[in-house]
Amino acid sequence: MRFKLLLTLLLITGTPPAYAFDFGGLIKEVTKEPEPVSGKTPQQGQQPGLMGLLGGTPVEEEIAIGREIAGRLLGAAPLVDDKQLQRYVNHVGAWVARQSGRNDLKWYFGVIESDDINAFAAPGGYILVTKGLYKRLRNEAELAGVLAHEIGHVIKQHHLKILKQGQLIDMGGSLLKQKVGGGGKGQAIGRMIGSGAEILARGLDKNAEYEADRIGVVLAARAGYDAYALPSVLQEIGHLSADDNTVSLLFKTHPHPEKRLLELGDAMDAHADRFEDGKIVADRFYRLGKEKKPQ
Amino acid sequence: MRVIQWLICIFLMVAAAPLLAEPGHIIRPSDLMDEPYRDAAPLAELKAGDPVEIIKRKGGWLKVKSAGRTGWVRMSKIRKGKATAKPASGSEAKGVLDLASGRSGTGNVVSATGVRGLSEAELKEAKFSASEVDKLESFTVSGQQAARFAQAEKLVAKELEFIPAAER
Repeated sequence: MRFKLLLTLLLITGTPPAYAFDFGGLIKEVTKEPEPVSGKTPQQGQQPGLMGLLGGTPVEEEIAIGREIAGRLLGAAPLVDDKQLQRYVNHVGAWVARQSGRNDLKWYFGVIESDDINAFAAPGGYILVTKGLYKRLRNEAELAGVLAHEIGHVIKQHHLKILKQGQLIDMGGSLLKQKVGGGGKGQAIGRMIGSGAEILARGLDKNAEYEADRIGVVLAARAGYDAYALPSVLQEIGHLSADDNTVSLLFKTHPHPEKRLLELGDAMDAHADRFEDGKIVADRFYRLGKEKKPQ
Repeated sequence: MRVIQWLICIFLMVAAAPLLAEPGHIIRPSDLMDEPYRDAAPLAELKAGDPVEIIKRKGGWLKVKSAGRTGWVRMSKIRKGKATAKPASGSEAKGVLDLASGRSGTGNVVSATGVRGLSEAELKEAKFSASEVDKLESFTVSGQQAARFAQAEKLVAKELEFIPAAER
């Protein structure tokens, strides 16, 4: 009997190789304009703009970066060809995301063609779950919990912060030898993200994952769902063998589910009164049919 | 023909019964309670490593059978599967951590026929797909639509504070 489930994140990136090491244009723009181009004050709790190098407001930049990353992940694993499934996931996701305070984002959710067990968040509200993970979910509350964990990464801007840090390091390293300039907005984003969707294979700090778990259960509970559905998913994934190929990337980029369960379980037990009476919603859950033959 | 169908039915029912209860084990000492509430009456004390059969879940509680008694235990005190290593001696997570350290480094293992993975190498080489991201965006749902969807299952939004990390 196999039980598997899980979550993860990734960010992605990919840049044409020709631009991969070209930070010239970036540096020039940054040194010239240290303030966000928009001149707007970033909203409280949000990262300031990426120094205006993309020429938009901080939120526009965040979305542009996330779109590029999501598009690259989709280049590797396209959407499952099932409109009903995709719409369903967007309904659940949008309802949970509404509880997050980021109503300035549109939020996009999708299930991608991969037997891996994983889920990914990119800045700006782009969230993708693998088919391998989706098929192991048993009800809507579990889906909500998985999506809520990813929403947690977006609202805490975990990946955006990493990209920003990387950008600063890269600039420092290449300042002396740069001569190239230019490149449009797309190229600036490409440079920042790196190669392909590699950023999604890198993983975040373990505390960022624990934080996303804690945010996830609260968002799910705010939306009326059973908050314990996320730890239930972790329980299932937790006893998958680390040798199982379908969880190798997940286990590489996240603390082991067992560690996550310990952290999350204790945090939830201390506030168990907040997590009573959530709904499972099993009947409406959109179940994927038997596997179609791979083409 | 009909007899065979009946036999299959009966066989499935018998075979499915054990699937309803799943093996699990206690990871930290905890009381077996008669109801899924903190102030319910304790029926027995369970110790780390005790095997249980998990019958069902209700919120943060699991209904289990242990040494002939049935009751409720906090989900955080139980793990699915049989106990590995020696639990309770300091680190209850040890067995699993040992497992985890055996993680395959690359995620780049050639998978079984027909299995479509998502390896590090594939991610690195991923190329932006404008058509797929357009499609993804076309499925987005408005806040109003989401609210109607929630209403259909009587999901009611609640105000809840985020929770802090557990104290260590």
